[in-house]
Amino acid sequence: MRQILHIPAAALLILAALSCSTDDINELDKKEEKGYIGTVSVEYNGETYDNPNIKVSYTPSVDGRTANLKIFKIKFVPQMPVRVNVTIPGIQVWQEESITRFYVDDINPLSLGGEFPKYRVTDMNGSISGNEINFSLNFGEYPTRYSGACVL
Amino acid sequence: MVPSLEIPDYGASLTSTIYIRGLGSRMENPSLSLYIDNIPVLDKNAYDFSWFGIHSGTLIRGPQGSLYGRNSMGGVLLLNTQKPMGGGTAAMVETGYPGMLQLGAMGTAGEEHAISGSVRLSRGYFTNAYSGKPLDPYTGGVLRWRWDRSISAFTSVSNSLHLNASREGGFAYGRYQDGEIQPVNYNDEGSYSRISLLDGFKVSHTGNHIRLNSLTSVQLLGDRMRMDQDYTPESIFTLEQRQRSAGITQEFIITPERSFGHWRPQSGFFCFGKLNRMDAPVLFKEDGIRSLILDNANRNIPEEYGYLDISEKSFPVNSRFLLGSWNAALFHESVWVLGRWVLTAGIRFDYEGGYMHYNSDALIHYRFVPIMTEAKEFKTSYTGHRLQHFFEVLPKISALYSIPVSSGSLRVYGNVSKGFRSGGFNTQIFSDILQGLMMNGMMEDLGVYLDNPREGVSAGNTQYKPEEAWNYEIGLRFSAGGRLTGQVDAYYIDCLHQQLTVFPPGKTTGRMMTNAGRSRSIGAEAELDYRHSGFHSHLSYSYCDARFREYIDGNADYSGNRIPYVPLHSYYFEVDDRFPALGLTWTVSGELRGSGPIYWNEDNSRSSGATIDLGATLGVSWGNCRLYLRGENLLGRQHPAFYFKSIGNEFFAVSKPRRLTLGITYII
Repeated sequence: MRQILHIPAAALLILAALSCSTDDINELDKKEEKGYIGTVSVEYNGETYDNPNIKVSYTPSVDGRTANLKIFKIKFVPQMPVRVNVTIPGIQVWQEESITRFYVDDINPLSLGGEFPKYRVTDMNGSISGNEINFSLNFGEYPTRYSGACVL
Repeated sequence: MVPSLEIPDYGASLTSTIYIRGLGSRMENPSLSLYIDNIPVLDKNAYDFSWFGIHSGTLIRGPQGSLYGRNSMGGVLLLNTQKPMGGGTAAMVETGYPGMLQLGAMGTAGEEHAISGSVRLSRGYFTNAYSGKPLDPYTGGVLRWRWDRSISAFTSVSNSLHLNASREGGFAYGRYQDGEIQPVNYNDEGSYSRISLLDGFKVSHTGNHIRLNSLTSVQLLGDRMRMDQDYTPESIFTLEQRQRSAGITQEFIITPERSFGHWRPQSGFFCFGKLNRMDAPVLFKEDGIRSLILDNANRNIPEEYGYLDISEKSFPVNSRFLLGSWNAALFHESVWVLGRWVLTAGIRFDYEGGYMHYNSDALIHYRFVPIMTEAKEFKTSYTGHRLQHFFEVLPKISALYSIPVSSGSLRVYGNVSKGFRSGGFNTQIFSDILQGLMMNGMMEDLGVYLDNPREGVSAGNTQYKPEEAWNYEIGLRFSAGGRLTGQVDAYYIDCLHQQLTVFPPGKTTGRMMTNAGRSRSIGAEAELDYRHSGFHSHLSYSYCDARFREYIDGNADYSGNRIPYVPLHSYYFEVDDRFPALGLTWTVSGELRGSGPIYWNEDNSRSSGATIDLGATLGVSWGNCRLYLRGENLLGRQHPAFYFKSIGNEFFAVSKPRRLTLGITYII
């Protein structure tokens, strides 16, 4: 059974608007984009390259079965002279009790105005639990992990 | 002819600058203010020194802030037109090589009206190697009307109207390559058209032992400049700038009808308001889009990702401005004549405000190849306004002592005075601002972020405060035997809050305005004039060591370097003689002028040595007519007159070639 916090109604209303908790998932939450800040770790030439303070947005579809995941200003390798936004569209989503899980087998991410096959996404698996999001995937030949916390 | 005055002859009327005692710049506000019949010419773009009907001219060197206020930091040029009363009638026709025709006439109607006009046509002195056509033809005319009337024994009125219209080519800039100045060679139009009207209405009333002068002026200016901004055969970018401005000035001056014993005071109030609407689109063309925008953007994008492309072959960066400026000042000057001493003290309290509304935008279609299959529309806009105020206190003290001599006169003097050059807004930087916003915005729209993005410069960085100068001067003036007159002076000028364009620290792009500099000028001037019977000789010389005391532009430190465009030495020598022969009156004159060395840039890596120009005139008069043949630059040497850099290229303008002019005047 869900835990309901015994707090004043006004505060409840505010918390409902701001909270990243999955305890009160509803139609409104399914349409809302959620933002996370965390670290992207890319395995490159046997070493791990960390991108701290990377923003990720998770935007589910209306029916909650798919979502778009957007990673902002990421460098895949240290010598990359620019940072790029990358969107992974149409990831499959399902609920396991209070945990939102998602995956995608194989898809071209969107970046630089279109599909970006150079960094084709494979074996993506992730979850959202409470305020935290975690996922792993391959960007082309680069295994990548992300761990972040929700921002208000 | 005037020591320490340098007016490089280059570009077009709009771009010409004035340097005096090392003070001056290419920015909007000049260091030398111009008065025509006591009317202050507000806009440097309306400055005009060559027209028929000038009766007299006086150049006062050194800051004249207490009486003349703004933009007289280096001095004041007072031009007076022919008065109706006592004015003569004259006509002039000149034709010259290469290809020049000038007509002028002036006359009076009764005792109240004086009219003059002149027209000048010139095919120009330089050829554009790209088109093979003359680069700087000139067509222009000036019309002047002056009306004086005494309303009563105590009141008189006068009106002075000055109308100027011209169209000219210009911008004869040749690229400096391989140690040589190449012929002028660029593919887009360079021209300047202007129409200006200056009308001043003066009322002078004497009563209750007070003389009150009121001078009201209306000043209108409309001009259009087209410029190939890269000055190369490539299609990089061009500028078309159009301005329409209107200004009103009002001045009241009160002086006693008679001196109060030894004391002669004058007090006054001055104010003006000016509105200027400017439209200055920069057109980026095919080569410019590639080299200035796409190459810069794609330099940071890995090739294996693709590249950024813009669909347009050309697109404008539009910039529209509404500029307002206003000023109010109270001033007073007192002169005490105490025996051999003449003591002067003056003060001016000067308030000035400025307003700028800006609206810049650009629209392009970009595509990231090969990922994007279609181009995407991208619009950049930047709009807002800025407001600023300045307050200046401008004192002056001077002392002059007449030393008794057996014949002639000898006077020594010393003075300390302060002047300022107005602040304002540098609208030229807005193209740079929008270019940066467009590049960064386009990259961000694409979802690409540079590690070292182009430094953002905002409208606040276009503002600059007044530049101030303190002048410390001593000198002597003398005359001897009724034939010889002369003067010698030495000065030190401390220039503060110098108006400079600099880069943000550590950057090479994104220029901004600042008052970051300090400079000083140490100099000396001498003039000698000798007349006897029909013989006349004039010599003038100036020495000016003008240097930066503090100047860091964000990338380099130029402190201690010489200030560009200011010659270390300049001299002028003229000899003329008039004598009768064959029943006619002949005049023969020769002149020698020179200057240098001169540095062309802040780091003093470019300089030119001393230059010499030789001129001569042969004339013959009979009755009211005079026929003359004048030669200028008889040695045919063309030396550098101006230097600048644009997109990494260096350019020089050179002086005009040898010219011959045949003219005839008829004077009643």
